[in-house]
Amino acid sequence: MNWYQLLAIVSASICLISCFIHGAKIINYGKPKDYSKKRGDTEKSVRYSYTGAMSPMKKESAYLHLPTYIAGISYHIGTFLSLFLFVIYLIGIYPTGIVALVISVLLLISGLSGFGILIKRISKDQLRSLSNPDDYISNLLVSLIQIMTALVLYLPQAFPYYFILISIFFLYLPVGKLKHVVYFFAARYHLGFFYGWRGVWPPK
Amino acid sequence: MENLTKETIDKGLEVLDTLNDGKLLTHLNSCVHCGLCADSCTYYLANPEAKFIPATKVDLVASIYRKYNTFGGKAFSKIVGARTLNEDTTNEMVDLLFGACTMCARCVSHCSIGVDITYVIKKGREMLSNMGMVPETLQSTIDSALETGNNMSIPETDFVETLEWLEEDLQYEVDDDNAKIYLDQKGKDILYTLNPREPKFFPLSISAMAKVFYVTGESWTISTKMYDVTNYAYYSGNYNEAAIITQRLYDEAENLDAKKIVLAECGHGSRAFRWEGPNYIKKEYPFDVTTSVELLASYLKEGKVKVDPNKIPDKVTLHDPCNLARSGGIWHEQRYILNKCVSDFVEMTPHGIDNLCCGGGGGQLAMSEYNDRRMAIGEIKAEQIRATGAKIVATPCHNCVDQLTQLNVTFKLGIKIMTLGEIVADAIVMETKD
Repeated sequence: MNWYQLLAIVSASICLISCFIHGAKIINYGKPKDYSKKRGDTEKSVRYSYTGAMSPMKKESAYLHLPTYIAGISYHIGTFLSLFLFVIYLIGIYPTGIVALVISVLLLISGLSGFGILIKRISKDQLRSLSNPDDYISNLLVSLIQIMTALVLYLPQAFPYYFILISIFFLYLPVGKLKHVVYFFAARYHLGFFYGWRGVWPPK
Repeated sequence: MENLTKETIDKGLEVLDTLNDGKLLTHLNSCVHCGLCADSCTYYLANPEAKFIPATKVDLVASIYRKYNTFGGKAFSKIVGARTLNEDTTNEMVDLLFGACTMCARCVSHCSIGVDITYVIKKGREMLSNMGMVPETLQSTIDSALETGNNMSIPETDFVETLEWLEEDLQYEVDDDNAKIYLDQKGKDILYTLNPREPKFFPLSISAMAKVFYVTGESWTISTKMYDVTNYAYYSGNYNEAAIITQRLYDEAENLDAKKIVLAECGHGSRAFRWEGPNYIKKEYPFDVTTSVELLASYLKEGKVKVDPNKIPDKVTLHDPCNLARSGGIWHEQRYILNKCVSDFVEMTPHGIDNLCCGGGGGQLAMSEYNDRRMAIGEIKAEQIRATGAKIVATPCHNCVDQLTQLNVTFKLGIKIMTLGEIVADAIVMETKD
């Protein structure tokens, strides 16, 4: 195993432990305590929160901004695909032929989507005003990783740079907003619980 | 504001201690600043400036949380956008969290992540409350409630006189000298609450409910000591004061041995007492709590009230109070009532749990310093109403009634605003006496 692979494993481990701590902290709180009399079904509502309520037809943030929404979905699929490929690369499997081509095209699309979102953030006054350096760093880092993940399939000599980059990503993730990878699921849970308790969700 | 002491700052920061609040921890760490919530906020729609984007308001609180409570915020504050709690941030918080949010929660259901933006804003208001920075106008409304038992400081004698006059009016209307508005009666099934705006400005909405109770033969009473359904401390973020107000109504229900509290047509009051109240006083209610909207719908379903929709031939639309519908799950009941009681009911677009706030929520009606903003966001609602062509706007909330009344005048809508109780009362078919 090369030093840069080792570096990536150590970084990924630190990241996983940090995410685990964040997750454990949330789980440790248990269900929210509410003294009011429950009116709805919290279990159904939490399920709805992760499913139906996520439908693009239910959210203005999606249906009023379809290009951004589609770019965002593509970007997130690319991120999880990149993380999967990181594990594959560590094991020593390197897709070739048509599989490599499909992966590369997908990652190119998702990576470009990420850069598109970044350009939008830079070019729109109001988004710029809302943003802090973490927003740009996170977006840039993840977009670069997706492109690099595809690139190394055709340019194996770039592997050291790839592993260094992904190590930086893993070390940065728990510090900045990328940790929403954990908190997103908790936020959906809390929202589902809240609306379910009062009988707002799932809609009758 | 210039003398922001360490003690004051610490009081504000106490609220951000997430050790006992997993929900707060979650929502403070979830926003990704996508800004896609902007179009779901009437403040932003009326004034498309970055500061009105809900995510900006969330970040005001979250950035302070990061500064004092996270490794990233302590070690790399500039990078992660962590901010110190100081005069600048508190000024901004007062302006945006009190002055630019009706806590309607429309942004919450449309948030791409699921951040409970209103919850974070409530926490921000709680911080300001702990620091003694609640706008005086809002605080004076709460002080009135705390000092006199109702937020409009109506003296008990005036209140009783009003109800006596309304009782005579009821007897005349139903042609029965035995028709009563029961005051301070023990052991009744229902303790009916009021928004103090009713005895002060809209007594006919009390008459309307009294008529409905008369027709149904309901066992009910109003307390002359504690009838106020509102709780503006819910808006100020002072949960000690909110608990005092909640406890008073709780105690009065116990004192009068009422089986059920029926909350008058008041969105925030319903929310504050039914959903937040038990958490303010940290105990479950031993009695039932329901809203008058649910009660009216049940009377109609059970056939206890006979109505004729032809008695209200004008086109009627419905404004859903945010706290009742989106944050309270009650939006079918009011439609059931209107479909029974009026002949031409038309919906606004959007409506139900996706409705647009009228602009009167969040304590805005009490904070006159933000009147211009309130009327600016209200124009969106005014145009929504105009588009329906309705002559009557029904709404089960007296705060909304107030705001809609002002919108009616300002934007020349030419509408009549009615509560659901008034609609039902007008549609009632009285059984003829033998």
